[in-house]
Amino acid sequence: MSAEKGLVRTPFHEFEVGFNIIVDLIKPGTRVLDLGCGTGTLLQRLRDEKDVEGCGVELNQEKVIKCFERGIRVMTLDLDEGLGGFPDLSYEYVVLSRTLQQLMYPEMLVREMLRVASKSIITFPNFGHWRIVLEFVRTGRMPFCATHPHPWYNTPDIHRLTIKDFRDFMKQLGGKIEREIHIINNTPREDAFWGPRRAEWGCFLISAV
Amino acid sequence: MRSGEIREYADSDGSYGPVTTQYAHFEGVTLESGVFLGPLTVAYETYGTLSRKRDNAVLILHALSGDAHAAGINPNGRTGWWDAMIGPGKGIDTDKYFVVCSNCIGGCKGTTGPPSVNPETGKPYGRSFPRVTIADMVNVQAMLVQHLGIEKLHNVIGGSMGGMQALEWAVTHPEMVKSAVVIAATARLSPQGIAFNWVGRNAIYSDPARVNTALEQAHVYQKMGRGLAVARMIGHITYLSEETMEAKFGRNRTFRDVDGYRYTLGENGKEDGEFEVESYLEHQGSTFMRRFDEDSYVVITKAIDLFDLEGTYGDLSTAFKNITAKMLVVSFNSDWLYPTSMSMAIVRSLQAGRKDVSFVELDLPYGHDSFLVSAGIPSLTRIIRGFLNSVR
Repeated sequence: MSAEKGLVRTPFHEFEVGFNIIVDLIKPGTRVLDLGCGTGTLLQRLRDEKDVEGCGVELNQEKVIKCFERGIRVMTLDLDEGLGGFPDLSYEYVVLSRTLQQLMYPEMLVREMLRVASKSIITFPNFGHWRIVLEFVRTGRMPFCATHPHPWYNTPDIHRLTIKDFRDFMKQLGGKIEREIHIINNTPREDAFWGPRRAEWGCFLISAV
Repeated sequence: MRSGEIREYADSDGSYGPVTTQYAHFEGVTLESGVFLGPLTVAYETYGTLSRKRDNAVLILHALSGDAHAAGINPNGRTGWWDAMIGPGKGIDTDKYFVVCSNCIGGCKGTTGPPSVNPETGKPYGRSFPRVTIADMVNVQAMLVQHLGIEKLHNVIGGSMGGMQALEWAVTHPEMVKSAVVIAATARLSPQGIAFNWVGRNAIYSDPARVNTALEQAHVYQKMGRGLAVARMIGHITYLSEETMEAKFGRNRTFRDVDGYRYTLGENGKEDGEFEVESYLEHQGSTFMRRFDEDSYVVITKAIDLFDLEGTYGDLSTAFKNITAKMLVVSFNSDWLYPTSMSMAIVRSLQAGRKDVSFVELDLPYGHDSFLVSAGIPSLTRIIRGFLNSVR
């Protein structure tokens, strides 16, 4: 792992471990809404392993079609337009995986998530990782690394945040953090020393107070 | 007919093979208006085999100008209107499903409609045909389905007016449908849609041949004027998108008016289409004159105009209260006649009622008719195949 190349692309980035963590957090037989569900990989696992009744939201047409081919219920909706059509507490869980930092209106959507489901699971790349911070300080330029692999002028990650930012955000929103998991070197940790500075990814289970 | 092979993309190749339209006869039907219409004949075709448990039936619902001939090749050598979607290994796989398609009541393709003989007068109904609604069309389809010995349909699917019927099926016959696919449709026709239909019917009403024709002979003389052709041209403009017209025709000309000062006079002193888009519409209109009945056009567009689940039930959530079917709503972003916002209104009300609904807006440039255009078939095929598989 050379400093020039930044962080290596960890398996979490491919999201194998990330899915495991989310699958573990979800109780069997529940209803799950997956925002930015991609090709439906998570919902398919949840359906097969946990008998979950899932629904995905995805904007990319090819990915939506893949969901249909997998037999996953899906809707073409733009998350930046909110979750207006979804009734209050119509799901047990709503998942927002790897997408928070790409939203135009993160606050609006997270408020909507807390309204639509009793529990929300949010994962995002941690911009507070010490290597990212070090690279920023050392080079004076926007860090370019595995968790943030795009240059600033052409990136979907328009709202970069740190794990500590997310804690503050929850205070601001009045959301309750039930579980806070740090992914460090591809391993989920909840009690790691200096976790918010060593985690590549943060995973939060939150609920409305 | 090949078996078992799944095809990623299919053409209208008539691969199901030869088919013939069949006819079911009923005593009659009481229409929504209270009028009894009888006797009633329903033209239909079937493809594939009904399973022993009778649980693999898919009902195809045609749009305004469609008919029962949805797939395969009929004795006239014509390929079905949705042959690219229906057949062995295609999106609606006839190796797997028993597919039924019938002509709607009020139509002119074999099911009782204005060209049929009114037993009371011994003459065709013509414009005296009673008013029918989308609900009447669905009720007649339900009679046919029961006649075929099917208690519960695996799926009902249709685009445009067929989509309205699919929705009506889910609303009024929840016990008979496991799933419904509503393509490029709306729960209530917009004033813009009513307006276009009104202009189309007016073209028919202002037909000079019609004015001079005695009512009882209406049917005999109806094809003398060109009102129906004009109505069809207006319709065709609304089915296409600006983008498609640009790509398909541009400002290309079929010929150039060499004088430059006068219209080129064609048959009956009428201008011949100089631009390609004009001759396309001319062709569509003329062909339609030969294959469609103008009174059917009036009756069916009126039924479309009257379709308003919101008005009928007070609001959409109430209309959808009894829906148990797994729903799929499909819209096209280039469809300006039944735009995505209208599909979204359906989706939102289904969501509010916590129904099992999927929704996809397809990025296809072909306008309202995208579900019939061959370039739109590949994505639709994958979606419909996946959805039908997921229905238990």
